[in-house]
Amino acid sequence: MVSIPAEQPSLDVSPIPGAADEAFWHGDRLFRLIVTGCALLVLLVLGGLVIAMGVGGLKAFAAFGPQFVVSNVWNPVSNEYGALAPLFGTVVSTLIAVAIALPLAFGAAFWLTAIAPPAVAEFVGSAVQLLAAVPSIIFGMWGLAVVVPFVAHHVQPFARHVFGHTPGLRWVVHGAAFGSGLLTGGVVLAIMVMPFMTAVMRDVFMAIPPMLKESAYGLGATRWEVMRRIVAPWSRTGMIGGVVLGMGRALGETMAVTFVIGNSNSVGWSIFAPRNTVASLIALEFPESPAGSLKLSALMALGFILIVISFASLIAARWLLREKSA
Amino acid sequence: MSMMPKTSDPTADAQASAAETPPTALEVRDLNFYYGTNQALKNISIDYQRRRVTAMIGPSGCGKSTLLRVFNRMYDLYPGQRAEGEAIFDGVNILDRSLDLNVLRSRIGMVFQKPTPFPMSIYDNIAFGVRLHEKLSRSEMDTRVEDVLTRVALWKEVRDRLRSPAAGLSGGQQQRLCIARSIATRPEMLLLDEPTSALDPISTARIEELLDELKQEFTIVIVTHNMQQAARCADQVAFFYLGTLVEVDAADRMFTNPREKQTQDYITGRFG
Repeated sequence: MVSIPAEQPSLDVSPIPGAADEAFWHGDRLFRLIVTGCALLVLLVLGGLVIAMGVGGLKAFAAFGPQFVVSNVWNPVSNEYGALAPLFGTVVSTLIAVAIALPLAFGAAFWLTAIAPPAVAEFVGSAVQLLAAVPSIIFGMWGLAVVVPFVAHHVQPFARHVFGHTPGLRWVVHGAAFGSGLLTGGVVLAIMVMPFMTAVMRDVFMAIPPMLKESAYGLGATRWEVMRRIVAPWSRTGMIGGVVLGMGRALGETMAVTFVIGNSNSVGWSIFAPRNTVASLIALEFPESPAGSLKLSALMALGFILIVISFASLIAARWLLREKSA
Repeated sequence: MSMMPKTSDPTADAQASAAETPPTALEVRDLNFYYGTNQALKNISIDYQRRRVTAMIGPSGCGKSTLLRVFNRMYDLYPGQRAEGEAIFDGVNILDRSLDLNVLRSRIGMVFQKPTPFPMSIYDNIAFGVRLHEKLSRSEMDTRVEDVLTRVALWKEVRDRLRSPAAGLSGGQQQRLCIARSIATRPEMLLLDEPTSALDPISTARIEELLDELKQEFTIVIVTHNMQQAARCADQVAFFYLGTLVEVDAADRMFTNPREKQTQDYITGRFG
């Protein structure tokens, strides 16, 4: 820190010479402490969260060992808990969501960057961001009120009609037409993650040197050919980053999924059958778990696993996205 | 260049006979170009001679690159940019809205300021453009690739790694690859927008040598900031200033005895 001479008439603007300067530097030091504290608090909370989940889950991990992640028993009566069903539901609903959202996001981003007139692109781009800002409970209600009946009355009967006797596929469309299930959860999740994926893809598409695109156009390529042969390969890692980012969001999404996934602790082939996810199971069971119980510990352990998976996907996304911008 | 027939009488351009003046490949008449409301080119009229090198020189912002980008309608990619007037290529006005741009661009190739290798192998960089317009068998494509790479003097350097990414080549090699890529679709005309501005002197010299070869077959238009380059490579030189064509003449006359004072000032380095 710079030392200020106490006596300097020309700089003396305070009644007591030197006092203002000292107060100033004290203030500066204080400010530094405060903002450093703010930043450290983030780290502290993050670390605290992970540790709290881990410690809370210790009892369950100790009681069930590795068996915890491969067992799909969730029985509060016999006090046996396994994470397989919610992990299965989480992963599969996320994969369905990505499978639906990826082509949508790709198409939207392509249209926004290559085809739409700039003014329209700006308007639609803003609409996509608004979609990202819709609270998830709204998607939950919409899913329950609109998507669930639609799947029950149209999608599943149709799928069963078409694939009901196809070897291999008949188990995928098997089950009663409840409407709530893995596919419905995946559809709602897809709508929710699509804006994020679109935004990331639009950014990576726009990051391409214009001269590279012009070179391809200059050879007589059409917009689709430029997209497929130049833009897509060039921005592949960026696009994967966008997908993983969307996956991270889908993995942890709670309310909307809880509304539409059916909440049945089971594992199976059918994409129409009710399942649950880590987040939905926690949301439903947590209020009924007494402090210190093994059930609470099992939920904490699930939370810990979810954090680890989410972090891993976020880190992977960051890494993939950084690769290209370098 | 001394091999090329040139008219010796400065006033003879107009009445030069067909035998002396090479036929015109591209004829530009009263061309105006606008970026939105800003007019970048004003009443340009110029002839580009077949199988000759025409250099376009002038200070930054004079419109020379803009004009070059008119010839393959690259400006069409950007809303708000438009051209008026005529540019007759093979009997057709290339400014015609109904023109098939993909065909036009296969007949008029372009090379940019910086090498722009596509994110694919060396082989595919060449094959990409060819596949857009022609259906070639495997062996025909191999032949085409070898042929164009040989002509840009790159074959010996890359024959063993045709399948490796083009990004692994040096800058000069990449630019020669881009030229090879442009001529692989067998265009009649080649537009070069400061093709050596990102290259070292040795790579630059190789590209310039290459131009001398290529003009046996292609009409070449090159935009350059480098006066020596224009003098070395070009048969005809056009000087642009503030969106107007000040003067166009045979290269040797332009650099020894320009008609306009502005041209003289620019080529002697008094401004620009």
